[in-house]
Amino acid sequence: MQDFVYERPQTMAQAVALLRRGDARVLAGGTDLIAQMREGRRSVGCIVDIKRIGELTGILPLPEGGVAIGAAVTAATVSRSSPIAANFPAVARAARLIGGVQVQNRASLGGNICNAAPSADAVPALVCHAAEARIAGPTGTRQLPLETLFIGPGKTTIERGELLVSIVLPPPSARSAVAYLRFTPRREMDIAIAGAGTYLRLDQGGVIAEARVTLASVGPTPMRAPLAEQRLVGERPTRALLAEVGRCAARDARPISDTRGSADYRRSLIAVLTMRALGDCCGQLGMDLEASSK
Amino acid sequence: MNTLITCTVNGEERTALADTRDTLLELLRDRLGLTGAKEGCGNGNCGTCTVLIDGAAVCSCLMLAQEAPGHDILTIEGLAKADTLHPIQQAIVESGGTQCGFCTPGIVLSAKALLDANALPTDAEIRHAIAGNLCRCTGYGKIVEAIHSAATTLAGR
Amino acid sequence: MAPKPSSAYQIVGKRLPRVDAKERVTGQALYPADLTIPGMVHAKLLRSPHAHARIRSIDVARAQALKGVLAVVTAADFPELPVGATIPMGETGYDMWMIAAVNLARGKVHWVGQPVAGVAAVDVHVAEAALALIEVDYEPLPAVLDIAAAMDPVAPVLHEHVFTKGVEPRPRAPSNVGSRTVIARGNVARALEGAAARQRIRVEVDTAHQGYLEPQAVVAQVDANGFATVWASTQAQFTAELMIARMLGMAQSRLKVVPLEIGGGFGGKIAIHGEAVAVRLAQKCGRPVKLTLTREEVLQGGSGPPAGALIDVAVAADDGGRLVAIEGTYCMDAGGLPGLSPSLLMQASAALYQTPNLHLQGYDVVTNKPRTEAYRGPGGIQAAFAMEQAMDALCQRLDLDPLEFRKRNAAVTGSTMPIGTPFPSIGLTTILQCVGEHPCWTDPLTQGRLPRGRGLALGYWRGTSMTSAGHITITGDGRPMVTMGAIDLSGTRTTMAQVVAEEFGVPISDIHISTGDTKSVGYSDGAAGSRVARTMTAALIEASRDALAQLAGRAAEKLQCRAEDLSYARGVFRSRQIGGPAISLAELMQATLTDGAVVGRGVSTKLPLGVEIGAHVCDVEVDTATGQVTVLRYTAFQDVGLALNPAAVEGQIEGSVVQGLGWALTEGFDYGPDGRLRNASLLDYRMPTALDVPKIECVIVETPVPNVPYGVRGVGEVPIVPPAACVANAIARATGVRLTRMPMTPERVLSALEALARP
Repeated sequence: MQDFVYERPQTMAQAVALLRRGDARVLAGGTDLIAQMREGRRSVGCIVDIKRIGELTGILPLPEGGVAIGAAVTAATVSRSSPIAANFPAVARAARLIGGVQVQNRASLGGNICNAAPSADAVPALVCHAAEARIAGPTGTRQLPLETLFIGPGKTTIERGELLVSIVLPPPSARSAVAYLRFTPRREMDIAIAGAGTYLRLDQGGVIAEARVTLASVGPTPMRAPLAEQRLVGERPTRALLAEVGRCAARDARPISDTRGSADYRRSLIAVLTMRALGDCCGQLGMDLEASSK
Repeated sequence: MNTLITCTVNGEERTALADTRDTLLELLRDRLGLTGAKEGCGNGNCGTCTVLIDGAAVCSCLMLAQEAPGHDILTIEGLAKADTLHPIQQAIVESGGTQCGFCTPGIVLSAKALLDANALPTDAEIRHAIAGNLCRCTGYGKIVEAIHSAATTLAGR
Repeated sequence: MAPKPSSAYQIVGKRLPRVDAKERVTGQALYPADLTIPGMVHAKLLRSPHAHARIRSIDVARAQALKGVLAVVTAADFPELPVGATIPMGETGYDMWMIAAVNLARGKVHWVGQPVAGVAAVDVHVAEAALALIEVDYEPLPAVLDIAAAMDPVAPVLHEHVFTKGVEPRPRAPSNVGSRTVIARGNVARALEGAAARQRIRVEVDTAHQGYLEPQAVVAQVDANGFATVWASTQAQFTAELMIARMLGMAQSRLKVVPLEIGGGFGGKIAIHGEAVAVRLAQKCGRPVKLTLTREEVLQGGSGPPAGALIDVAVAADDGGRLVAIEGTYCMDAGGLPGLSPSLLMQASAALYQTPNLHLQGYDVVTNKPRTEAYRGPGGIQAAFAMEQAMDALCQRLDLDPLEFRKRNAAVTGSTMPIGTPFPSIGLTTILQCVGEHPCWTDPLTQGRLPRGRGLALGYWRGTSMTSAGHITITGDGRPMVTMGAIDLSGTRTTMAQVVAEEFGVPISDIHISTGDTKSVGYSDGAAGSRVARTMTAALIEASRDALAQLAGRAAEKLQCRAEDLSYARGVFRSRQIGGPAISLAELMQATLTDGAVVGRGVSTKLPLGVEIGAHVCDVEVDTATGQVTVLRYTAFQDVGLALNPAAVEGQIEGSVVQGLGWALTEGFDYGPDGRLRNASLLDYRMPTALDVPKIECVIVETPVPNVPYGVRGVGEVPIVPPAACVANAIARATGVRLTRMPMTPERVLSALEALARP
């Protein structure tokens, strides 16, 4: 491992200043970064440990009902947080999928995002909740939709001298639900071969007014599935519809073949996972698919 | 580069000269002589390096030594009191839950973190709590049995 | 000795905790990576980036010049060993040319990760930096990565000296087939053709890994007189000593191997992986050297994985459901160097069935992958995956219950084994009876949302005996102090302490037991082949009786009677006269301490075999949309002769089954076209976690082996043999699909289901 300087700033301003170094990297949980450095996949000259910065380590309920999750908050904390469990249960469940207990106790939500793996388990549920990313930089902060942050495997739009501060989740709408399902050969301690997050909002008549489908591990970044989403809006959920939407999502997917799975297998999984995640949403919304399918 | 690191391990304040690149696992094993935590993979995938940081199970191979100051670190060496084994250790001895022993320190500590938070866990909760600790010898059955038995012992106190 | 049931014994056969459990749960157990010696430096190995290449030259000058580097070695620092330079081990021995090449390549590299040089430096970081400065000039050659490609007559040849053995006339050209082995009787072709029902199956098994959690580690020190001490993680300290001595051209008397705790071996730590290199580095730099492999090195060519296989089996029965023929072709992937003998696995796969016609042929095939080594019942898993599926499919064809089919065709004591000799005492019939009466077989399959099925598969492993030695010194307070030549892989210290305690009639807490290094105990073969418990029991009974005879002589003198007039029980010698005097071992040793040591010696060689037989039953559920298989229930029946310690026996069975389930479902090496392993991590090489397996239920059957102390059979290997076939049979019953590729990953299961659904 290449040698580096270790810094532990106490304030955002100090952190942002340190991050202007081209070879500086943010350290939160370290579960991705330290492994990458050891394997020589990432060369780092300066480590900026952000865990002593107050704004980054708390879960803050927002006045209008949403919540801001500090970028350095651990997956374990997210999974156990009562405001998150109450309003964003899919996010809590997704946080429980990252590695095993030991990894969840260290890995941060911000790290899961900034590592920008197409398989990041926390991301689809957050995107389905229309999460936004708050980013601090030398000239102030900016906020943008989380899904626009990713530009390729390991790459985000966060620039040198910038730092992800928090993930802002707007309050969930009435008659809406989010679910995230992934597929791994082992039950835990594994990376998603494919994952699907789904969001449904129904109007008062039980018709789908809004839908989001976010796919993991089937493209260079976590990705929305436009064909699937379009097919949902304006419809009443039935088993047949969900199966068809699953097939649409499989068409939206842009998977590659690698050691974890072939492109074809990933497409098959996307169809199933999307269908099942939508079924989960319908269940949360109290809809009886068997009855509505008749 | 070398750096001095002071941290609390098993209730004692310890200071060591470490390489700036050392992980917590290397600090414990190579600088402090606490070799109970093992390196099975160095990547957080096997759990043999598990220690408790402020009561939470973590992979010490995925944490820098320089992150240690300010935390309370418990390693397997700090669990038994003099000659008295912790009930989890005792239960693993009695149930046959250790074979080659390489995973055992990590499993004991993962189990401790579980039972500290959840006094009478279900089978599924136990298996979830140790899913980050691979064991290649026992097939897990006798370990799960031992953790149940330790939970009963601890709850009866 | 006539075997008695376990109830006849006081300590043997009891469920006792391990005598070495406390050091394990407290972190005190010492493995080589835990050892630090004053002045110790650190070694790293440079490994081949190519699957197949000629080494034109190696220039170590720049590495040597780096500050902090103390020594650099390549194959040029070792004597060149000829092909076929064997050392004794089991039936075939070890080819030292092969072992040397596994440790350091000479002239050519045959797989990615094969070591080409070693460096010792003040710390690991400097050693790593030095590796980058070693300049190796490679001439890359075309690589052959799978069995079928390697057997193609036009394939690039890996070794110019390999002419297939066992083929007449001797081939004129070299090839990638090291040997052909045939076992045959009757006329299989005619029997297959005339049979009422036949079934053929062809399976492909990916290379996997033993998955021991402790990566290989060694510390080597050479003293001022040139005597070397090697602290190793090994299953076989004497074999390691021989290998190191031969590789270095060193006299065996100039070296000792001290086995420390071993963090799992499963066959993968019999051969050496860097130990001799560490010694050479220590000699060169005059400092103790530690070499610890990383997990990536272990997986990426730094250790010997078990063999992949391509196996073709045909079985046939008459209309009464009686087997008439078994035919099998077993092509085994030896990896980059030849010398894998398929004979045992061929026999094992057919051993449990009586058939008049049998034709088995095996091939030892080289490919540009790591040289394979043993894994718990080596080859048995792969062969059973084919044979037990073929038998199950034949039952489906005959519409016959698979248990009933096994009962009709089961080998029995005295029936003919594949090699043509009669079976020694076996309890297969009893096991099958037990299966038929057990709820795991009689309970109806519980129904779920997804399809479920129940599978049955048998397993056989022969094991071996070879040599075990130990001695017992009586301490000043009259207690037996046992030094044995066996490594403790499976609770050996505990079971052997039980044996000695039983012999002496004293509590197990009175026994001090340890594994000897190669200069403190007599030659013993390694902990492999399910041999240790049986043979070490025999050796230590002999040693106990030798010590007791010596003690009886002293006691007779003290009690002033003839030795034959003494009785001995529970640690006390007593004159047989009514009201006669008595003396305890403690009193006797206190009284005679200065008369010299009492040392009882025991050696066991050529003990009769204790063949291992098991039958497994499992229930699985298959998610037909994702291909995921969930094992819901698993029961393993095994004949162990006599369980020296039932808890230890269950531990062996439960662990073995879970390893078997790992290879069955998720564990397989995935090689890229460049011969590089793509899943060289414990994230992507997926060994089962606690969440992936159910509780394994064990049913222990005891049919003692005659002429073996306590009638003990081997235990540790056979329970890994049936799981993959058992799961495959359950999947077939659940879905109608036969899985012929192992591991049966979700993707492969789904793809097989889709193929079945296609018109």
